[in-house]
Amino acid sequence: MYLTHNERWAWMGAIALTTVLSIPDGVAAAPAPRTLLDSGDATLALTPPLRGATAAPPGSAPPNPDPHDLEGVWYLQGYEYLLGPEPGVPPPLKPEYMKILERRIRAKNRGTPEADAPTQCLPHGMPRLMESPYPIEIVQTPDRLTFLHEVAHNVRRIWLNRAHPAVLRPTFLGDSVGHWEGETLVVDTIGLNDRTFIDDEGSSHSTQLRTVERYRKIDGGAQLELSMTVEDPVTLEHPYSYRRVYHWRPDIRPQEYICEENNRNAPVDGVTVAK
Amino acid sequence: MRASTLLLLTWLLGAPVFAVGAPQDFSGVWSIVRSPSRLTTIAGAAPPLNAAGRAIYAQRRAAAARGDRSFDETSKCLPPGLPRLMLVNQPFEILQRDKAVYFIHQLNRLPRRAYFGEQLPDDPDPLYLGFSIARWEGATLIIESAGFRAGTLLDDSGLPHSDVLHLTERYQLDAAGRALHARFTIADAKMFTHPWDFQADYVRRPGYEIPEQVCSDKQTAATGIPY
Repeated sequence: MYLTHNERWAWMGAIALTTVLSIPDGVAAAPAPRTLLDSGDATLALTPPLRGATAAPPGSAPPNPDPHDLEGVWYLQGYEYLLGPEPGVPPPLKPEYMKILERRIRAKNRGTPEADAPTQCLPHGMPRLMESPYPIEIVQTPDRLTFLHEVAHNVRRIWLNRAHPAVLRPTFLGDSVGHWEGETLVVDTIGLNDRTFIDDEGSSHSTQLRTVERYRKIDGGAQLELSMTVEDPVTLEHPYSYRRVYHWRPDIRPQEYICEENNRNAPVDGVTVAK
Repeated sequence: MRASTLLLLTWLLGAPVFAVGAPQDFSGVWSIVRSPSRLTTIAGAAPPLNAAGRAIYAQRRAAAARGDRSFDETSKCLPPGLPRLMLVNQPFEILQRDKAVYFIHQLNRLPRRAYFGEQLPDDPDPLYLGFSIARWEGATLIIESAGFRAGTLLDDSGLPHSDVLHLTERYQLDAAGRALHARFTIADAKMFTHPWDFQADYVRRPGYEIPEQVCSDKQTAATGIPY
């Protein structure tokens, strides 16, 4: 149904992007927020995107052009609250899950957002963890890539020389295995629990969620391109993909981030408290 | 020839190789051999608390005796601080790289970084895990840390430290690479009369994959994974 709005979305997206690019870092754009499915219903207003990180400042250590060495600090350009196939477009949720997303967006716009994992200091889940306005440090060792996320000190381990275990206890970040296809690192993640959302707005996933991430250095290693594919036969009509870019930021050092310290957003009776 | 004889001798005796040789690869998963609940000096004596330190420690011991452990913020899923994080009975992983050595702990997934080729900051921001720098002395990895928040504990019993804590850790691999010996030096003039040392030993855990452990997740309790 919302597919009929795609052309209009692309047009609005271009305007929004222009607006976003003309404002300082970290400031929300869009004076007139988009709404879910371009409905015009203000109770379904989407949180505007953030500009996110820019390229490393002049004088920073030059990027490492080795396509098979992803080690270093990377920082997302742009930040979307809704992680669909394109900005402002929701994931292809089945109707019953679209209704849940509408419910969550309305709760957010009433100022009483439903409690989600990060507000309880639980890991963000996938693919949401990769959509973070905080740096990600990749440590690359022979059998592994380790993603050290500044946000809430999340850790992802991507195993290069083993398959998924036959039996997996579902976890917040699942089990990730990777392999190289030419200059692209392909990361397959399963074994995720269903206690997180696909995105900040609250798109649902099940334990059948699978993400496939394809990472490739571009621009001589100054950027890391991600193609994220999301599959979930329970909540989604069909798999979908989106593209993201992370900047090489050798000038940034991940900081200590302790969610549990004086968590002002801790939920009360299932509602996130915003102080 | 003589060096190799010495190495062979130390290997046969099972003793650590002191300050000889090149940097070693400490990468891998490690577990502490014996997790101490109450630290003592290497000689087995009580740590040399000064009057201020004794007062805080006595308060905490009295509270613990009443069953009140509110002085221990790990009950709220806050980091245990250092050196206590290195003393908990849970595995951790070392990833050794040229620019830094990473310690990634099973305990609530806490990461620690110690940077090579850097100095400690003059006026560090107080952090749960401080700021750490690393260097090699022969085959010994030395990590120095400062910039700690007061309020974390040196050990489970509530041994105090202040914001001027300066921690030095010296790590040595045994010749077979299966054991890690650590010597810790606590320098904290606000809490102790003089710097003092203690030791801890770790064993390698080949093949062990650190599971996802989330302290804030009450459901974790039911899975058998400690938190």
